[in-house]
Amino acid sequence: MTSNRIAYTGFVAFVSVVLTLVVVNLVQGNPEPTAGGTAENANGETVFRLDQVVEHNHAGSCWKVISGVVYDLTEYLPNHPTEEEVFTRWCGKEATSAWLDKGNGRPHSPRAAARLEDYRIGVLEGGAPAPAPVETADSATQPATGDDRLGRMLLGLAPGNYLDGTYRGNFIDRGLIQVSLQFRLEGGRIKGMSYRHLFYRDEDYLKMDSSAELYPVLRQYQQITERLEGEPMEAIFRLYEPENVVDDIDGYTGATLRGAKVISAFRDGLNRGVYSW
Amino acid sequence: MTLRKYPGDLLLLGLFLLPVVVVAPALPWGSQGWLYSLAELAGVFALSAFLLAGMLSARIPGTDPWFGGLVRLWTIHRWLGFSAFMLVMVHVLLLALATLPMSLGTSVATLFPPLSHWEVWVGWAAFLTMLVFIAPTLGFFGTLHYQNWKRLHLLSAPALVLALVHTLLLSAIAWVWWLLSALALAAIAWRKLLSPRLARKPYVVDGIDKLARDVVELRLRPKGKGIRWRAGQFVYLTPMDRSLLAGYGEEHPYTIASGSGDDELKIGIKAVGDATRALLDIKPGAEVRIEGPYGTFFENAALAQKGTGLPGEPRKQLWLAGGIGITPFVAGARDRVGNTVAQGPDACLFYLANRPERAYYLDELVRIAEACDGFEVHTHYMNEHGVITRDYLAERCPDFAERDIYLCGPPGMINHLQTLLRHEGVPAHRIHTEAFDFL
Repeated sequence: MTSNRIAYTGFVAFVSVVLTLVVVNLVQGNPEPTAGGTAENANGETVFRLDQVVEHNHAGSCWKVISGVVYDLTEYLPNHPTEEEVFTRWCGKEATSAWLDKGNGRPHSPRAAARLEDYRIGVLEGGAPAPAPVETADSATQPATGDDRLGRMLLGLAPGNYLDGTYRGNFIDRGLIQVSLQFRLEGGRIKGMSYRHLFYRDEDYLKMDSSAELYPVLRQYQQITERLEGEPMEAIFRLYEPENVVDDIDGYTGATLRGAKVISAFRDGLNRGVYSW
Repeated sequence: MTLRKYPGDLLLLGLFLLPVVVVAPALPWGSQGWLYSLAELAGVFALSAFLLAGMLSARIPGTDPWFGGLVRLWTIHRWLGFSAFMLVMVHVLLLALATLPMSLGTSVATLFPPLSHWEVWVGWAAFLTMLVFIAPTLGFFGTLHYQNWKRLHLLSAPALVLALVHTLLLSAIAWVWWLLSALALAAIAWRKLLSPRLARKPYVVDGIDKLARDVVELRLRPKGKGIRWRAGQFVYLTPMDRSLLAGYGEEHPYTIASGSGDDELKIGIKAVGDATRALLDIKPGAEVRIEGPYGTFFENAALAQKGTGLPGEPRKQLWLAGGIGITPFVAGARDRVGNTVAQGPDACLFYLANRPERAYYLDELVRIAEACDGFEVHTHYMNEHGVITRDYLAERCPDFAERDIYLCGPPGMINHLQTLLRHEGVPAHRIHTEAFDFL
């Protein structure tokens, strides 16, 4: 019968292919699976099976799979700006959806993506090891995301030489000072930035108690001072996209940090010139 | 196998596709997962085919006409087994391919993981068990002794269980597999454990008529309530006589030679193997077990006619018999004597034999032809006339190509006649043959 011949031929072909795979693998001396049942891929990265990831499903050892990559986020856990449960419920799981939607319909920031890479330990078997999910939206419309060349150009268009010294600047809107800040320039770099006044919609942020609803927004303003410390002047333009600079606390308060106001106050200070030497 | 439709086909198709419908949407079809999903799907199809083949082995008397008769059921069973075997290999190869982009090592580790991943090794065990019982079926090592082959085929049950364990450990959706495997294992349990006790009816040998040196007709009388049959059907006969030289307790299929109204069940037997040869010497009073009846030999015409939607008179029939293949036609002819059964459409029988001594039953057939209108018998002796030709048929039965044609005989004769009839423009649906040489 024809089917008999097909079956026999198919079987011989099958055995040949499997044997070829095994023999070529032996000859190449490719790393065989280790005792833990893991293998390495062509990039030398460890390949995990999902059942191995599943074992790390608690705060004591928290692995997550995001877009085919396995991360050990145990050490990052204390730094995550939400309640622990929000973070740990995805331990030991395929967490790409939570990565792409923090719960408010917004993805994690590129800054978070960059940080995530520090915790990469391998890829998932059968998964698609995609590059870390940095936002890939058209970069032309996004001034200064980690690339400060546009910032330097913007500063170049502004008048004046920015001498080293202490500057003070304000952002004023509708008759009220909303942002007032002070910083020093040392060798063209920002040092000792601080707020003298932060006010918006009847809220004096600098006098705000840590239990206040909008306190996380103050935390973000303070993070700006921490994260611009020692940065070149053009780094202020990163604040056009504040999520690239500060943590994502705002996603949970509903309030939004207005980075543009801080930029405006900075440039006001620069225009007014050195306040004191 | 013809592609005629039968009511049971829909049931088979539904059962076959059920797991795929349930499992496929849950697979990771996204960007690079499709190859992996395809691999899993091949595995799903393989197990579905395997389980369905298991279900079809039930052989419950009276149910096979829903599927076009037992012979067609076995043909489907065989195709399902063949498909399962092929698909399992596709499943393995696609898994290797899906993981190959990561590295060769990963690919090999997917097929041959550490022993701690025993669910994969259970899959291999299932495949190897399958190989052992299916290789002889697919003729990898030539043909095997019938009873040995049958015993070896029992390995399908453990293979099925292993395949099931493999799948249940790796699949997220379990209920569909539990359902199908319950049906399949129930079918196997019925066939191997229950039916020998429940479905086989005790009969006693009433008499033995020697028709030729190597051909006898057994006349059987039921001990209790016997079976009811129609002409052209066959039964499985199991001799329960320990004095036989061979074949005690072994079942073999035989065509019924008595008409459906006969009191006695008559079976024409030709010695072709150890068991059938031993049966020639069975003594009156010996006990046999009968399971059946099966088959739809003479019903196929009615079904085919229903399919065309043509009303009116049933077509006249042409019967072409060779050797022991005369038995269903003997039953058909015996149906025509006596008043109990309708006469049926006109039939013209050509009895093909090597020489007159090999034309057993001929005297009785001629007597019936003389007594009945609408039934003729012609002989064709190979030693005298050579191979039968279209002219030989046309001289004695001018409208032979217009008739419903029934064939039963050795494979060489069937092949020759099918070619001849196709050449005369007889469509395939009017040629009926039920060869159970591989049952």
